[in-house]
Amino acid sequence: MFRKFYLLYGLLTLSTVAYGQYRGWSLDTVNQLKNVPKSVRDNPGSYRTVYAGYHHYTGGK
Amino acid sequence: MSAGAPPLSGPPRPQAKGLNCPKCGAAIVLRSFGQAQTVVCASCRCILDAKDPNLAILQQFEAITRDVKPLIPLGTRGKLRGTDYEVVGFQRRSTKVDGITYYWHEYVLFNPYKGIRYLSEYNGHWNDISICKQLPMSEGTSANYLGEIYKHFQTCDASTDFVLGEFPWQVRVGEHAAVTDFVHPPRVLSSEKLDKEVSWSIGEYMYGREICDAFKLPGDPPEAMGVYENQPSPITINVAGIWVTFAAFAVFLLALMAAFDMRAKKEPVLQQTYQFNRADAKSETSFVSDEFVLGGGTSTVEVKTSAPVDNHWIYLNYALINQDTGQAWDFGREVSYYHGYDNDGSWSEGKRTDSVVIPSVPAGHYYLRIEPEADPSLPRIAYTVDVIRDVPVFGIYGIAFVALLLPALVISWRAYTFERSRWSESDHPPMQLSSMSSSSEDDE
Repeated sequence: MFRKFYLLYGLLTLSTVAYGQYRGWSLDTVNQLKNVPKSVRDNPGSYRTVYAGYHHYTGGK
Repeated sequence: MSAGAPPLSGPPRPQAKGLNCPKCGAAIVLRSFGQAQTVVCASCRCILDAKDPNLAILQQFEAITRDVKPLIPLGTRGKLRGTDYEVVGFQRRSTKVDGITYYWHEYVLFNPYKGIRYLSEYNGHWNDISICKQLPMSEGTSANYLGEIYKHFQTCDASTDFVLGEFPWQVRVGEHAAVTDFVHPPRVLSSEKLDKEVSWSIGEYMYGREICDAFKLPGDPPEAMGVYENQPSPITINVAGIWVTFAAFAVFLLALMAAFDMRAKKEPVLQQTYQFNRADAKSETSFVSDEFVLGGGTSTVEVKTSAPVDNHWIYLNYALINQDTGQAWDFGREVSYYHGYDNDGSWSEGKRTDSVVIPSVPAGHYYLRIEPEADPSLPRIAYTVDVIRDVPVFGIYGIAFVALLLPALVISWRAYTFERSRWSESDHPPMQLSSMSSSSEDDE
């Protein structure tokens, strides 16, 4: 019973990996936006990134 | 045969033989006829010679064991593995190990056509026992019975504490026998040496619920405590087989990785070096890259940033924007590298390069909007941005590997802990336990 489950589970895992690679999945997270105005190309300052104001590492040991 | 009980299967109707105890005069019922060697008076617990027409007293009852009560009362009938049996005898036995006395119970079952068999019960674990039909071959720490190899589990000195009913041997309270158990779950092969006589029996594990159902006992059976020597493992699968399957999956995963790595285009679509100047940072710092084309189908896009930072940081707010559809992927990346010396020696943190892989980016015309920020102590710095289309993501294979490994590990661990519990009670405990016990003995 478990062996059958494991076989199915393994095949499903491998299929998911293959599909993910085919579809270009990634482990990095990025914020996706739609309908960014074309004017950004000419006026980059009109776009406001959600990542502005990030607290930067200034340390070291 | 007790009044009101249903008859045993088969045409002849056996009749119990009525006699009286020569000590107390109580009625003695012989259920197993000629099979009984001894019978115990239910009233005064004297052990009587069942072969003697006058029931000669073989042993007086010891009062200390008067309160032992069998879970299956004598005279109870039940169907065990398709055959009707009646409980005709009961004994409690014990063994002393490391100063602790362990008790177990044995029941004598009788069917006039099938003969005698036994049930044993220890801490809620039951065994259906019968006398071996062939003599097993005992070879050191193993025994061979009917082609099956049994591993030695333990040898102990078993003493009889209490007896009740009929027995097909000359039973005595206080009698000692050397009992050796060999296991091959769910079976146990036991040899019992009494004086110079050795008898072999084969037992098969049974659950308390099966016994209750077989003898129609009221209530729930006593809960089984711990793992018994021949208790079947709940992990019924072949653990080695699971690892073979895992190995096959791992090989397939590697093949998949190699295939997708070879198939990946890894096509550079943009490489530009930009300059960050703090003097310009007061005005708008954001700008856009040259336009580039992502061909083919939906794929990953890697954005690599490299900067010669030295105890500094640079941070880039990126937006990968599809010129045709207005779809954008917004992300921020930091490149920082710190190093120095302290009491522990040299140290370093961070890297001068950074990489991010944007998932599932469709084909089209794109540009990058870049908004740099940098360490306030950094007047200017050059940085390079590389955009590469269709790169493999190896982390996914790592996750898949762990996902495949986990069930195999869980099953192996469960099987291991079960067997470890089983063998920790044996004469051959697992390594850690034996070393622990030997070290504690050394301490003493």
